[in-house]
Amino acid sequence: MSENKKLSRRDLIKLTATGAAAMGVNLIPGVKVFAQPAAQGESVTLRFQESPDNYTDIVNAFTELYPNVNIEFVSVEGVDHAEIASKILTQMAAGQPVNIGYAATEATQLYAGEGLALPLTQRALDDQEEMAEYFADVSPTLIEGMMYEGDLYQIPRDFNAAHIYFNKELLAEAGLEVPGAEWTKDDFDEYAAALTGLGSEGDSFGFGWTNRLWGSWTPWFFVNDTNLLTEERAPGGEAIWDTFYADEPLAEGRGGGWRWPAPQANNPAMVEALEYVISLTDRGYAPQAEIGGGSTLEGFFVSGKLGMSIAGGFWAGSLINQGLEPGSFEVQFWPEWKSQRHQFGTGGAWILNGGGGEDEAWEFLKFNTDPDVMLMIPWMASASTTPVRRSMNTAEYWGQTGLENWEVFYSALDDRPDTGPIPAPVFSIEMTNIYTRFTSLATSGEQTPQEALDGMQAELEALYARNA
Amino acid sequence: MTTATYDEKPKRNAIARWLAADTMNGIKRQRALMGFLFIAPTVIGLLIFIVGPMLYSFVLSFHEWNVFRPPEYVGFANFERLAGDSRVFVSFKNTFILMFMTVAILEVLAMALAILVKRLTGGLLGYFYRTVYFFPVLLSGASVAVMLGYMFHQEFGVINYYLSQLGMEKIPWLTSSNVVLITIALTTVWRNLGFTFIIYLGGVSALPEEILEAADVDGAKGWRKLWSITIPLLSPTILFATVTDVIKMLQFFDEPFIMTRGGPGDASRTVVMMMYDSAFGNLELGYGSAIALVLFAIIMIVTGIQFYLSRRWVFYG
Repeated sequence: MSENKKLSRRDLIKLTATGAAAMGVNLIPGVKVFAQPAAQGESVTLRFQESPDNYTDIVNAFTELYPNVNIEFVSVEGVDHAEIASKILTQMAAGQPVNIGYAATEATQLYAGEGLALPLTQRALDDQEEMAEYFADVSPTLIEGMMYEGDLYQIPRDFNAAHIYFNKELLAEAGLEVPGAEWTKDDFDEYAAALTGLGSEGDSFGFGWTNRLWGSWTPWFFVNDTNLLTEERAPGGEAIWDTFYADEPLAEGRGGGWRWPAPQANNPAMVEALEYVISLTDRGYAPQAEIGGGSTLEGFFVSGKLGMSIAGGFWAGSLINQGLEPGSFEVQFWPEWKSQRHQFGTGGAWILNGGGGEDEAWEFLKFNTDPDVMLMIPWMASASTTPVRRSMNTAEYWGQTGLENWEVFYSALDDRPDTGPIPAPVFSIEMTNIYTRFTSLATSGEQTPQEALDGMQAELEALYARNA
Repeated sequence: MTTATYDEKPKRNAIARWLAADTMNGIKRQRALMGFLFIAPTVIGLLIFIVGPMLYSFVLSFHEWNVFRPPEYVGFANFERLAGDSRVFVSFKNTFILMFMTVAILEVLAMALAILVKRLTGGLLGYFYRTVYFFPVLLSGASVAVMLGYMFHQEFGVINYYLSQLGMEKIPWLTSSNVVLITIALTTVWRNLGFTFIIYLGGVSALPEEILEAADVDGAKGWRKLWSITIPLLSPTILFATVTDVIKMLQFFDEPFIMTRGGPGDASRTVVMMMYDSAFGNLELGYGSAIALVLFAIIMIVTGIQFYLSRRWVFYG
């Protein structure tokens, strides 16, 4: 550079533009998405998708046993599991993946199908002695829900099947009792009518629900003997079933996870189910479907505005935290229509494939299967979810909520072998967006249920074609 | 051009000589360097957080990328798809409707409030009004959307409660395609009014008193004075407020995302929501980037048009 050359504004702009371009290009194609594998045998840092509020004690207990493992928290919030998965993937796109994630059914096949999650079958078999007690305590229905194309990808921690919650104060005002386990859709309809217009201001509704995938109008089409997508079982999984569930009748006929080969959103049973749900609003028994993660619905239930609503075990402790007295609400199975098939979603930890520290991460997953460790999670201890371990679902555990019918939570798995997961293929996030969008068109009266489901079917078919 | 050198001075390296303070050019270069050093933190921040991601997004818009697999170059395919995507068109339409509604209400209301506050209050009362109007700006968009979402709830919301007390029908604020954009516009106006109000208050406070007094002496009163004197004098402020508000409102996200999730159907889905859904919901980061690029171009064009038209009505005194 000549000594006479001025450092002009133009030069600076050129330099900065060049630098920025170089930076941008460096980030684009061929980018290394995953973190480099950690050096083996030395200290290992694992990024763990959980909140320190919930997991600090567990991590401290684990690192006492494994002082070479350093666990960093990656706290991710979202209104539902699909949104959390979106955020995890966004972090990944930014080159900040987690080594240990937590995913619910909504994202199980997404992580597994895209090669993100590490298959865990062989690790479970290698540690058969350590893991046998855990599997014996966990319903095979949940294990199958964490499988994809023959392999196990997650170790379930908690689950929730969709049940009906009752506000007992409104039930008493209507002169009704909590119905029996074999109640029907017609019974439900009578309850919805009777529980409408009660309360101190006479403005209660019989029933309320949220427009999302789990616990939306999804349970209604399950009991109408259909599903949004066709269902079949993937082959495989025998190693798990033969090793851990050899004497378990509930494991018979299980496969290597669920497949949903095609959409069937507008079949007559689906249309009938949606028409029924919308008729509840048309007849004044239900408000318009809520949006989001269900907290609004919870607030209305707590304030005595809803006689019945949809939730799983997670609501029990949560309602207490919101201010309801133990024993002021009750729970029952979903009512029977053409069947009484229940839907569930389960969640568990997964390990990043190729992220490094897989052995240590597996040790951490195993550590978390211990019931005492599970109860170190504050919301697990307060019965704000349903533990996957059968032995943890006890009168003592659910007693803090005052529920008398608490057994229905696990009974939805043990006594109802047809209970199945919410439909959640690899592209479940996009599928859920389509599902909720067209559902909102029907619930708002912009389209008839048939029109909305025809539109839903067309977009789902296009989605399947893009992902073929 | 050469610079004078002095053999008697100690030898210096090239940079030191280039910056030598004992020449006029050296002094200029030192001052320039000092200036560049002062702006360096901002420029570096812009490069890392604005320019870099923009370039990245620009390049991504020509790729297909779902995070899991390496990006694949697809040329203009994302833009061709975008041109035929009716949902994107609807989201642009919604965004422009929201932008027109909110900017129109914001500018009129903020200007009127600024003039009233300037005229009617002084001292503590002036501070009180300024604080009250500005307070919602300090709240997060998410919390405002959640709170107003409850207030606008069709069955249990406080707004419909009072409407029903007046004997009116409950309005489906968030669940009807005919109403939902109005609801979101009202929410956005409530949250953003304070910022625009402060801009106008600054403009009103800076109006030359002698011209306003001259107008009074000439007998200009009320609307006549407002229309012929105050507003023309405020025109640079109006231009600034309008340009910044339009840019902001073309990027609608918080309120519709939280209050309606874009529904019912796509009735309240905005372009930025569409971009978010495509990129992070559907994992089509290339397509989401293409939408972002088009939105960026549209914002540039709209701003350019505003400045072009401003030559006809903005009065710089």
